Amino acid sequence: MGMVSGPGRTRTMQGIHGPPAALRRPARREDGPAMRDDSPVAVLVSRARDGDRQAWDTIVDRYAPLIWSICRRYRLDRANADDVGQSVWLRLVDQLALIREPAALPGWLATTTRRECGRVLSAARRQEALGDAVDAADVPDGEPAVAEREVLAAERHAALREAFTHLPPRCQELVGLLLEDPPVPYADISAKLGIPVGSIGPSRARCLDRLRRYPAVAALISNEIPAGGDPE
Amino acid sequence: MTSQQWADDRLMAELGEAVRAARAVPPEFTETGKAAYTWRTVDAELAALTFDSAAQAAAVPAVRAEEASPRFLTFAGSEFTIELEIGADSIMGQIVPPEPGHVDACPATGAAATAEIDEIGCFIIVPLPSSPFRLHCHTTAGVSVLTTWITL
Repeated sequence: MGMVSGPGRTRTMQGIHGPPAALRRPARREDGPAMRDDSPVAVLVSRARDGDRQAWDTIVDRYAPLIWSICRRYRLDRANADDVGQSVWLRLVDQLALIREPAALPGWLATTTRRECGRVLSAARRQEALGDAVDAADVPDGEPAVAEREVLAAERHAALREAFTHLPPRCQELVGLLLEDPPVPYADISAKLGIPVGSIGPSRARCLDRLRRYPAVAALISNEIPAGGDPE
Repeated sequence: MTSQQWADDRLMAELGEAVRAARAVPPEFTETGKAAYTWRTVDAELAALTFDSAAQAAAVPAVRAEEASPRFLTFAGSEFTIELEIGADSIMGQIVPPEPGHVDACPATGAAATAEIDEIGCFIIVPLPSSPFRLHCHTTAGVSVLTTWITL
């Protein structure tokens, strides 16, 4: 299991460079092209557990915004947010083999992130307020409803971003321009994409329709229907 | 059938939010997460944290925080437990039941440092590793135990 290779157990005080796993890279899967991964999270988790680094990267890309946004809500500075992010992912690596319900990963990430944020804040407070009473009360996490909403939003966002990257390039361009803030005038969009102003509206509708039909997004929408038929 | 759910404007608004949420994340924040994967195949039993004096202190708001009080941690594996006392500039530890061997203090990034575990299971690590780190204990009997991540 080589943390230290060879019998040289004589107290080497100088370090070993990097984690041991770096020495033996997990075998990359040969089946399947290297492309955007739209697998459900449970599939990604089991592939990452089996050594598929690409699946791990996809998980990180998908959920880093969730962890980041929680750090922002706790008003952590950049260094502390980095610290929290790293701890959360390191913990997940340890847990990969133990996760019983991979589909619950976003919830686990959110909970772990909040706990780490709390830790970082109380450590900072301990250092600042020498001898002052520790007040653990001002963590912004009162209602579980906030936490729940945060996770749902992260899953919604991840599905939408993924759907967006699967749109045809023309659609991505158009929708991208329409999302700009401040808004890009239709005349500019027309000039940029070489389409008449009058067709921007219909094209937008067609692109959004494709987005809506993308499986992950369609699943979100159909899950939402029981919440009492959207009157829109 | 789904076509009228999530009207265009709502869809655009949600998509805009999704894109902004991803753009807000600094690239290095994501890269650090990806790099964590190199720790996947460390082949050792994982000893779980069963006690942390810092967590106790945080849970009891009325307690006065002593400036220089050490932090005590306990990790339990199936073969032995690892007791740690983290001071201002060193870590003193003991494995129970005692067994000699060596321990690697491995920070998440950068070089690990190695210290000996003596006949009564004690070791000392100087200076403090950079946070987060974990300890990897190897006994001469061939047992290898890894603690979960420790953040200072």
